[in-house]
Amino acid sequence: MPQISPKSLVSETAELAEDVAVGPFSYIGPEVRLDAGCVIQNNVSLVGKTTLGQGCVVFPLAVIGVPAPGEAEGGQCILGEANAIREHVTICAGLDAPTRIGNHNLIMIASQIGAGATVGDHGIFDNYSRIGAGAVVEDYVRTSGFAVIADGNRLGAYSFVAAFGSVVHDGPPYAMLQGSPVRVRGVNTRNLKACGFGGDDIQALKRAFRELFNGPENQVNPKVLLRLASRKDLNPYVRKLVEAVRSASANEADDD
Amino acid sequence: MTDVSVVREIDAAARIAPDAVVEPFCVVGPNVTIGPGTVLRQRVTIVGHTSIGSGNTIAEGCVLGARPQDLKYAGGRTLLIVGHRNRFGREVTAHIGTEAGGYVTRIGNDNVLMSGSHVAHDCYVDDRVLIGRSVLLAGHIRVQTGAVMEEFCGMHHFVTVGRFSRVAPHTPVRRDVPPFTDFGSPDHARTGAPTVRGAHEAGIAAAALKPDEEKELRFALRELFDDESALQTKIEQLVNMGVEGEAARLCEFCNRSLQGPYGRYRELFRGKVPPEAREHLPPDIGLDPGRPMR
Repeated sequence: MPQISPKSLVSETAELAEDVAVGPFSYIGPEVRLDAGCVIQNNVSLVGKTTLGQGCVVFPLAVIGVPAPGEAEGGQCILGEANAIREHVTICAGLDAPTRIGNHNLIMIASQIGAGATVGDHGIFDNYSRIGAGAVVEDYVRTSGFAVIADGNRLGAYSFVAAFGSVVHDGPPYAMLQGSPVRVRGVNTRNLKACGFGGDDIQALKRAFRELFNGPENQVNPKVLLRLASRKDLNPYVRKLVEAVRSASANEADDD
Repeated sequence: MTDVSVVREIDAAARIAPDAVVEPFCVVGPNVTIGPGTVLRQRVTIVGHTSIGSGNTIAEGCVLGARPQDLKYAGGRTLLIVGHRNRFGREVTAHIGTEAGGYVTRIGNDNVLMSGSHVAHDCYVDDRVLIGRSVLLAGHIRVQTGAVMEEFCGMHHFVTVGRFSRVAPHTPVRRDVPPFTDFGSPDHARTGAPTVRGAHEAGIAAAALKPDEEKELRFALRELFDDESALQTKIEQLVNMGVEGEAARLCEFCNRSLQGPYGRYRELFRGKVPPEAREHLPPDIGLDPGRPMR
């Protein structure tokens, strides 16, 4: 039987797996689905068409599935497995496309995730991080406090955004990003090591970063980008980096 | 009118003083102690092994004593200790300690924590501290008496904020803030790395020093921070001159910060029980401060 506090309000049409726990003063809306092992602590609001995968934990006063600011109605919000949603977090529901969050993410206190954002797996987002509407955050990304990934931008896998950093263009993968707007400060070596990258791959990435981001204010050097892209024997991770930077440049050209 | 006890969830094992006020939609866990005269406004959650002293005001939506966000935390009996007469603004969060970081998060007396601020695991906040709106204290931080952190400051792990210092708004603090200083970015655009910008006048006034001591402190502050190069040499010079009182303490503080990696003295206690634990660890946990942890 789900352990549902008598002081909570769970809609009759909400789908709750057998062992879901719901704390006091929480509200589970009519179109919410909670898979096995979810723990919804006290004072939580789950509304809209929200789905939580197995083993998600939602801490007090978090709100998931609300309409984005200025929108009258909400949409869909799909969370994968084993996510921890900490206190005071807001996750808006996507109206056109669902807000999607992968598996094993830790979304810390008072972070906000905008409507239609897509978050990968194993992300750690520190307090007050903001992922804008329609932004795409790939796997293993980590952010520090007050980091912003602005609306509609893509942040590559394994990157780190330092405190107060704001990603206002597409951010490359594997990078340490710092500043407002962010600049590439190097390879996120620590995260790569922790994720089991080999020394050779890290060295190859470091060389590529040194060559590629040597424009003014660590911007991409377009000549190096062309040269790297034309090479056939690139390290696969460097290839990914080059592809990501190329598509980012193309997006920027479209914006202009 | 609805009986207020229906819209509260207070565990039968919680120890709450008879004149403490617990308003609707509050949740109080089983291992919580709340002292006399403390007021919990609506939607306050207090869980974990948390003890709260007397005369505190805890505003709407605060969550105290929740599980740390540190990934190393794997459960265990760790504590949050809050002293007396603190004012918590709305949606303040404070977490219990971790076993690897010394078991205790402590908030002292007469502090003001403005709305949205966060005190993470294993922090020690002393007395009369002002923590501004949405200020984030990461783990293992020590904030000494009378410090002021203005809104939206972000503190790095293991930082020490010195006595009666001030941190300017929106400052990312990555190294120790010396006592009696005004710390922040050197320019208005906040582009440069934050640094000491001068003496914190309000702090010096609040400390109510004797005229001689104040004069010596101001001299030391000028000597050390007008130009921060060769700090070690200048500290030695001041010590050799035989400065006393607050000026001597300032020198000691800066010396310690220089010892720690990245200008953070408390980095030396990474993975150990910090020295403050000696005072604040309850005897039944029975740990030797300085003992390396798992």
